[in-house]
Amino acid sequence: MPAFEYKTNSEEETTSLGVLLAQHITPPAVVVLIGKLGAGKTALVKGFVKGLGVAEPEEVSSPTFPLIHEYGKPVRVYHVDLYRLETEEEVAGIGFEELFDRPALVLIEWGERFPNLMPMPRVEIDMEVTGETSRTIRVRTVQ
Amino acid sequence: MRILGIESSCDETAAAVVDSEGVVRSSVVASQLDVHGKYGGVVPELASREHLRAIVVVVRDALAQAEARLEDLAAIAVTEGPGLVGSLLVGITYAKALAFAADKPLIAVNHLEGHIHAAVLEARRRGQPVEFPALALVVSGGHTHLYAVQEDFRYRLLGRTRDDAAGEAYDKVAKLLGFGYPGGPTLDRLAPFGDPERFRFSLAKMKGNALDFSFSGLKTAVLRWVEARELAGEIQARRELLRGGGRPGLEAWLRATPQETLDLIACFQRTVIEELMRRVRVSAAEIGARAILITGGVAGNAGLRETAARAIAGVPVHFPTPELSTDNAAMIAAAAFPKLLRGERAGFELTAKANLGL
Repeated sequence: MPAFEYKTNSEEETTSLGVLLAQHITPPAVVVLIGKLGAGKTALVKGFVKGLGVAEPEEVSSPTFPLIHEYGKPVRVYHVDLYRLETEEEVAGIGFEELFDRPALVLIEWGERFPNLMPMPRVEIDMEVTGETSRTIRVRTVQ
Repeated sequence: MRILGIESSCDETAAAVVDSEGVVRSSVVASQLDVHGKYGGVVPELASREHLRAIVVVVRDALAQAEARLEDLAAIAVTEGPGLVGSLLVGITYAKALAFAADKPLIAVNHLEGHIHAAVLEARRRGQPVEFPALALVVSGGHTHLYAVQEDFRYRLLGRTRDDAAGEAYDKVAKLLGFGYPGGPTLDRLAPFGDPERFRFSLAKMKGNALDFSFSGLKTAVLRWVEARELAGEIQARRELLRGGGRPGLEAWLRATPQETLDLIACFQRTVIEELMRRVRVSAAEIGARAILITGGVAGNAGLRETAARAIAGVPVHFPTPELSTDNAAMIAAAAFPKLLRGERAGFELTAKANLGL
């Protein structure tokens, strides 16, 4: 997939974009979501989860504390948040790499802090805050 | 009749013995906070290793302090989820082994249900038993859930966070302001020194279930507030304070925090509490609640306790003791009694359920 650029003007539009992207980025795949606090990473995950039909967007909350949320039976989406982890050893310790062997979509927040641990090929989605509610979202494949 | 409870879903390895009168005979918590403090959060691999190291001693101490022998127990209860799979498995595996060896019933408890029972236990201890239906707010770093609770301890989920948990918002705001981890309690201690009316954070209106919560927008608003100002110096100064080792006291934090930032903290705290309490009031009225239970790590928040106590005329508000607000095993044992009476036993195939709902 070549690089694409989208602009969204609200959280709802970001979620809708996730629904759209879920038609093109299907399991198994790894997606790294890059953007600062409040950029809309979890909002985009809500769209992916809806697009794949594994849960309602309202059921998706931040996995910062538990680190991993799972959706679908069997699990089709892993939503991972590495915000609180500091070293590669800690990330490896959550059984992180095992997730890549599963037939699932693995959506990772704050994964860019651990570039050595991110698998290839992967999709990177950059979420830039351009205004109060507007975002520029760039999607590219890294391989 | 006594139940041994075991809890290892997140930070804490805990064991406790509770009797059928609701008396906590022992409650031992091996806090891993100091281990995690160095790393800025819960480190699962570290967590399960620490659980493994602590569990035998913690259970032994809980039994010894309660002067209970394994054979005296009516059952062994353990948290089955939600939580970190690796951490949960340590408690579950140990509980299974004990139940098998001592030939005792094994009871699986939902961590969220445990938190609700922490408030029920304390109400009972104070001689003011909870009346039903009750409204329960479970509010911590990982959860912000509202439940209607029936007398038979059946639960109905009324609302939950759609993004960040309240405690998570506290910890993220604290971290971005340089207060370290876990910074929520520090913000609570500093909030009384600020003006809670100085800044207004407008929150987006909730679409769909009006009882759901959202704290992501508030967190982002605080981030923008910080970015719009020159705070790098004071944030650096507070980080240095933490680097000095030990835990800075209130005086040290106050010296390192200008008035405007204290005002921000007060406004953040007020906004979170208002969001929580508005939904508590609405849902309590909706279900005709005869009691309100506020429980989980954020239930230790002094500002929340003060506001909640005078929130609703005529409806008593119950909190757990500070020890039972954060993760503990007494709440797990307490939650197991109604299950034991109903004959709900877990089999040895019991396993960790990371995303278990209530």
